[in-house]
Amino acid sequence: MSELFLAVPVLLPIFGGGAILALHLRSEDKGNERLMEILVEGLVLANSLAILWLLKNRMGANLVLFRLFGNLTVRFKLDLMGGVFAGLIAFLWPLATLYSFEYMGHEKRKRTFFAYYVMTYGVTSGIALSGNLVTMYLCYEMLTLVTFPLVLFPMTKEAKRASRRYLYYSIGGAAFAFIGLVFVLSFSATGNTEFVPGGVLNLQAAAEQRSLLLLVYVLAFFGFGVKAALFPVHVWLPRATVAPTPVTALLHAVAVVKSGAFAILRFTYFSYGTAFLRGSQAQWAVMAAVLVTIVYGSTMAVREIHWKRRLAYSTISNLSYILFGATLMSPLGLAAALCHLVIHAFMKICSFFCAGAVMHQTGKNQVYELNGLGRRMPVTFGCLTVASLSLMGIPLFGGFISKWNLAWAAFDCAEGYGFGPGSWLPVAGVAVILYSALMTGVYMLTVLVRAYFPAAAGGESAAADEGRTETWDPGWRMLVPLLIFGAMILLLGLRPVWLMSLLTKIGGEAG
Amino acid sequence: MRSAANLTIPGICGMGMCFQIDGFRLVYLGIAVLMWVVSGVFSLEYMAHYEKRNRYYCFFLATFFATVGVFLSADFYTTFIFFEIMSFTSYVWVAFDERRESLRAAETYLAVAVIGGMVMLMGLFLLYDLAGTLRFDELKGAVSGISGASRMRLYGACGLLLFGFGAKAGCFPLHIWLPKAHPVAPAPASALLSGILTKAGVFGIIVVSCGLLRGDLAWGTVIACLGLLTMVLGAVLALFSVNLKRTLACSSVSQIGFILTGIGMSGLLEAAGEKSGLAVRGAFLHMVNHSLFKLVLFLCAAAVFMNLHQLNLNDIRGFGRKKPLLMFCFLMGALGIGGVPLWSGYVSKTLLHESIVEYTTRVASFQALGGSALPESLSRAPKALLWMARITGTAGFWRGAEWVFLVSGGMTVAYMLKLFVALFVDRHPLRQEEFDRMSSSYMRPASKGVLLGAAVLLPLLGMTAHQTMDQLADLGQGFFGQTEKAHAIAYFSPENLKGGLISIGIGALLYVLVVCRWMMGETENEERKSDGRSDHNRCYLERWPSWLDLEELVYRPVIQVALPAVGGAVCSFVDRYVITAPLTAFLAVSAVVCRVMDQMADILIRTARRTTHSQLPAAFLAGSPHDGEGLRDSSAGGKGAGHKGRGSAVMKRQEEIILALVRMKERIQRNGRLVEESFSFGLMLFAIGLCLTLGYLLMVFISQ
Repeated sequence: MSELFLAVPVLLPIFGGGAILALHLRSEDKGNERLMEILVEGLVLANSLAILWLLKNRMGANLVLFRLFGNLTVRFKLDLMGGVFAGLIAFLWPLATLYSFEYMGHEKRKRTFFAYYVMTYGVTSGIALSGNLVTMYLCYEMLTLVTFPLVLFPMTKEAKRASRRYLYYSIGGAAFAFIGLVFVLSFSATGNTEFVPGGVLNLQAAAEQRSLLLLVYVLAFFGFGVKAALFPVHVWLPRATVAPTPVTALLHAVAVVKSGAFAILRFTYFSYGTAFLRGSQAQWAVMAAVLVTIVYGSTMAVREIHWKRRLAYSTISNLSYILFGATLMSPLGLAAALCHLVIHAFMKICSFFCAGAVMHQTGKNQVYELNGLGRRMPVTFGCLTVASLSLMGIPLFGGFISKWNLAWAAFDCAEGYGFGPGSWLPVAGVAVILYSALMTGVYMLTVLVRAYFPAAAGGESAAADEGRTETWDPGWRMLVPLLIFGAMILLLGLRPVWLMSLLTKIGGEAG
Repeated sequence: MRSAANLTIPGICGMGMCFQIDGFRLVYLGIAVLMWVVSGVFSLEYMAHYEKRNRYYCFFLATFFATVGVFLSADFYTTFIFFEIMSFTSYVWVAFDERRESLRAAETYLAVAVIGGMVMLMGLFLLYDLAGTLRFDELKGAVSGISGASRMRLYGACGLLLFGFGAKAGCFPLHIWLPKAHPVAPAPASALLSGILTKAGVFGIIVVSCGLLRGDLAWGTVIACLGLLTMVLGAVLALFSVNLKRTLACSSVSQIGFILTGIGMSGLLEAAGEKSGLAVRGAFLHMVNHSLFKLVLFLCAAAVFMNLHQLNLNDIRGFGRKKPLLMFCFLMGALGIGGVPLWSGYVSKTLLHESIVEYTTRVASFQALGGSALPESLSRAPKALLWMARITGTAGFWRGAEWVFLVSGGMTVAYMLKLFVALFVDRHPLRQEEFDRMSSSYMRPASKGVLLGAAVLLPLLGMTAHQTMDQLADLGQGFFGQTEKAHAIAYFSPENLKGGLISIGIGALLYVLVVCRWMMGETENEERKSDGRSDHNRCYLERWPSWLDLEELVYRPVIQVALPAVGGAVCSFVDRYVITAPLTAFLAVSAVVCRVMDQMADILIRTARRTTHSQLPAAFLAGSPHDGEGLRDSSAGGKGAGHKGRGSAVMKRQEEIILALVRMKERIQRNGRLVEESFSFGLMLFAIGLCLTLGYLLMVFISQ
């Protein structure tokens, strides 16, 4: 019976969010508002604690929640890889919620916002904990539906357009993923779609339909790739930045997009299995798409002058780092992909929160408006500096670790193929990552240089506001998450061994 | 030899850090401490009037630790980590005073550092992949067995490392940041940038050249040629410059060229089977010397700048008159760097010169025997490479190199003479008396003390070469892979003196012919003529064509204009036409399809109303309780006059109903459109997926 605990992190926020929606609190009332905030934060914290408790005590637990029909079951399972993702979101969600209380302080319809924000937590943990492809697919579709109102939230014309686009792309992508699901089911060795390290395909049966299965893999890769903003189905992500910053930061830099990447990792390493895919045309095809995405994302980020959109393009290229690890189809590749999945979460949420803090305090959106802000908001920009340097892959910060591991995995992968066709792709991938790091340097450092040395951009000289000393840093509820994320980036950069040994273990099992 | 001590800290930054201390590192640790202490003490005065002192000192210390980290590192991973930190913390120095030109220079510095760092990282990846280790002591053994195609990859990796380290060292063609960054950085920081940060780059090049590819002919040739090129180019730039600190910066480029030549020569001598002691000791001593020279010279420049806030030679000339201490210190630095016998620069330059001469005789004797200097590995190389190898294998080439060396030395003498004359001999046409009044208060005693201390070191080392510099070289040469003690060299023997004197002669000639004749001219400013003395009106002219700037001519256009334009154009083209256009077309088509499907029921009803149900009575539509029969009767007999009134009422009601219907229809359509825009479309896509799958399954079943 104790296995039922596994469903708690999924169901608690979903029902809790529903309850918040159902409650009729008049939002003008300050007391009620405070009550709701306490309720929401309590709910999220309780859920995070539940996840942590599960990670500690119920590793390897398995739960069939209910049966759809036949062997299609909704099954939750807690393995190491799901545990890493669940632990990540359990860490981020309470902090992001804390941040959004202040950020959303002056907004109306907060109740709706927080209700869906909490529900998304449940659905995302569902993806992390799902034990088979069917469950993951269901959660994946639900994720689209619960995050749709969040993108729509500002209710401006732009937001409506963006949310509509988000919906089309996600549901369309899921349709392709569904094809993959059907095929895995029909070629499965076990007769169901459970996640097994190394894949469930019946290799004998699959060998007869090899080229078709590979085609389906590519289709499903792009299908799941919609959420991971893979080129050419990335278009929704930069537009979706119209949503409030906590949404952009947590969902469109971590939860939703990482769900896409996580789904691809699951699909590749736990459903299809790397033994079937390694060295195939499909591998080179998706790897090429991923490399194009990296180049495209980082180049477009340099061109973009809207700050949040620039970060969104950066997310596009960084997500493809994870996918690059996934397409290496080796134990090291999986470890490196997961490493970047974790570290990028901290870096990107930190940079988005800085952008959000600036927007909240000064209302400035565009990069060229940031002149001289670095001195006025020292803590915010301090954290941004850490995040930027980490994104560039400067040593001492987390980003360097994941880049190093990715490059190492790529060389290892190239080594394995000798001089076969496509073997140059992983090596080209390393060059692409370094190119992207350079572009990251350009698009992040231009922001920092503007903020710290306004004269560089031809703005008013620093001397002009020398006299003004008051700072515009936001309140503690925004600063605390920022500082924690900054510290995490440094911690992961300096002491990554525990994380890497854990991830290498996962990679060793599944690769 | 002292035994080397190791320190490994596992786990930090993933792979762990690895430090080592040996003779070379000990010497450079000492130099780093010396330089930071001296320029730190000097900074106290220099920075006294700046507001953001704290930021300066903070990054001053951070850079110190990073630099020490680079010099103590025992594997490339650690080197890289500290190298990057060093680049970023020293960026703040360059950007320190936040004027526009300093920020522009800082931008250049940062760009070179970031690009260099990335390229170096790529080299490290390749190297790690090839060798499986990054530890200096294991690398040599790990790569020695590599041959064939992998050998080319090894060269590629080392080339990338050379790019990265060379960018920091100021090696041509990546020297662009030095002449820009030094004049704008605070002068004590310039001393460190030039004196020791560039040496961190040289450190990496030494590890690659003397560790990894020790005794590799091709590599040695490349390094030596780069060194010669850098040497001449830096000296020419310095000779043309009319800015005090810019001259010193270009001089740094040139001196780094000397050091690189030494490193290259050591590789070549090893390859030829000779002892490379001369070249190694020369390169190492020149590193040490150059650090000390630049410390002294930049601090002298700092003394000028903190009093006048100007650096142009025409504005500062005559400042040094009646300031014997400043003159003494500057003179020590100038004589040292000029390679004048009895000063330390002479010793290292003599060693470098000797190594070139030795290699030349070696090649000449080899040629005389009829042998070819080409190694086996080059026999399958491309033609151009072969041709290059043939040229560099002749004794004539190296005789030319010797002359390049001597001429560069001569130019060093010339530009130092130019600076010295400008500062201490010329008189300022207008402000000379003001300058003279500053003689008592231009520097605090503490600054004077440390400057003097640093300056005295130079002749001290030079005059006791056998007791001091030989010891230093013994300590340092182990790092270059040189273990045996070198035989004592008679530094002041006639042949050695000859080389030094030729350089000085060339320098004096250059100064008289080029600097005095061509680079100085009549001032255009007429009002100064009232001064009366003609030589006051002569000023230093900027003879360097302003368009001839590698950065402005090539790098910036390529990186800032060409790359973004091309890359951006491609990306936006892809964005607009390859993705958005088909997508819009698809959406438009599917929207039409959806709308048609959505309104299918509407269309049916409308056609029905127009055809079969077109004459429906209004009362029925209004839902009246009358039975159908009566209505049909009334409509059938509707033409009667008696029914007219009732008929118009019906008509009126009918109109209202129609209006209501139209409204209702519009509402329905609006809702329909909203629904269609969200769900039906998604469902349709879903359905397409399903259909494809089901169709396939059907096909499978049929084919079975």
